[in-house]
Amino acid sequence: MWFEDIPLNVEVVLGSYTFTEENIVAFARQYDPQPFHIDRKAAEASIYGGLIASGWHTAAVWMKLMIASRRTAVASGAQNVQDNFVSPGVREIKWLKPVRPGTTLTYTNKGTAKLDWPTLPKFGLLEGINEARDGSGALYYSFINRVLIARRNPGTPG
Amino acid sequence: MSERLYFEDFHTGQVFTLGTHQIGAEEIIAFAKEFDPQPQHIDPVAAKSSILGGLAASGWHLCALSMRMMVDGLFARAASMGSPGIEEVQWRKPVYAGDVLQLQTEILGSRESSRADRGYIRMRFKLSRLGKSGQPQLVMMFVSSVIMGRKPGLRNVV
Repeated sequence: MWFEDIPLNVEVVLGSYTFTEENIVAFARQYDPQPFHIDRKAAEASIYGGLIASGWHTAAVWMKLMIASRRTAVASGAQNVQDNFVSPGVREIKWLKPVRPGTTLTYTNKGTAKLDWPTLPKFGLLEGINEARDGSGALYYSFINRVLIARRNPGTPG
Repeated sequence: MSERLYFEDFHTGQVFTLGTHQIGAEEIIAFAKEFDPQPQHIDPVAAKSSILGGLAASGWHLCALSMRMMVDGLFARAASMGSPGIEEVQWRKPVYAGDVLQLQTEILGSRESSRADRGYIRMRFKLSRLGKSGQPQLVMMFVSSVIMGRKPGLRNVV
């Protein structure tokens, strides 16, 4: 699948992930050792009233699910996009609700715009809105991702 | 400076240089195996033929690593209460195994919260690679607001 073939405004369910005290604390000990992420007692006394996941944990899980979802699509023949995606960055990361142990979030992605990326004309830039919700539909996390995807016909608008 | 830092202690234009970290192949692969298992992040041989030209850290790993440097260098002695989000992340250059990274944080501004015990500090984080000459090359940048507790005793003054 080339940049030109990617449909916009189609929501894809990437998958789900359950945050546990164990994986919240393990991630945070390594990357975000603030008391409300690693110490249950201290977290209870914080403004959050209990342990919550590092926002970067919530963010990294999106990537994990995106890769897994893409591989499933490739394996089933629904998509032939290869790995080796490169992103120049993301925008508007919003940590809307604290993610507590026992929360299962389902992540979705929807392409919203195709843009030129003049410094790498063989590629186009795909922007998408990404959300993570719990079973009741409450929105915990959202951001806009940007990924460079090879064009079938470099130099033509796609 | 070992005194605890509060909302009142951050001023527009302040720059904090928060130590250095040499990133190793093992930690690049360990993070990527769990969260971003693309060839350019987990397979040194396949990475050579990727667009990045060598084993490079996941962008999300760089975010998480910056968070760790921020906690170790500043938040461990500051009244940080988390963050509602990130305005923008720019991944400017690949980061390769062996690179020596330095984090700098610039205070862009601050605003009070409707809640008397906290305020928001807007910060620009710059992660740079230190070349052999010690000259920093920007590899990642992000802008974020952080919730910071106010100095006890001053809360009702303003």
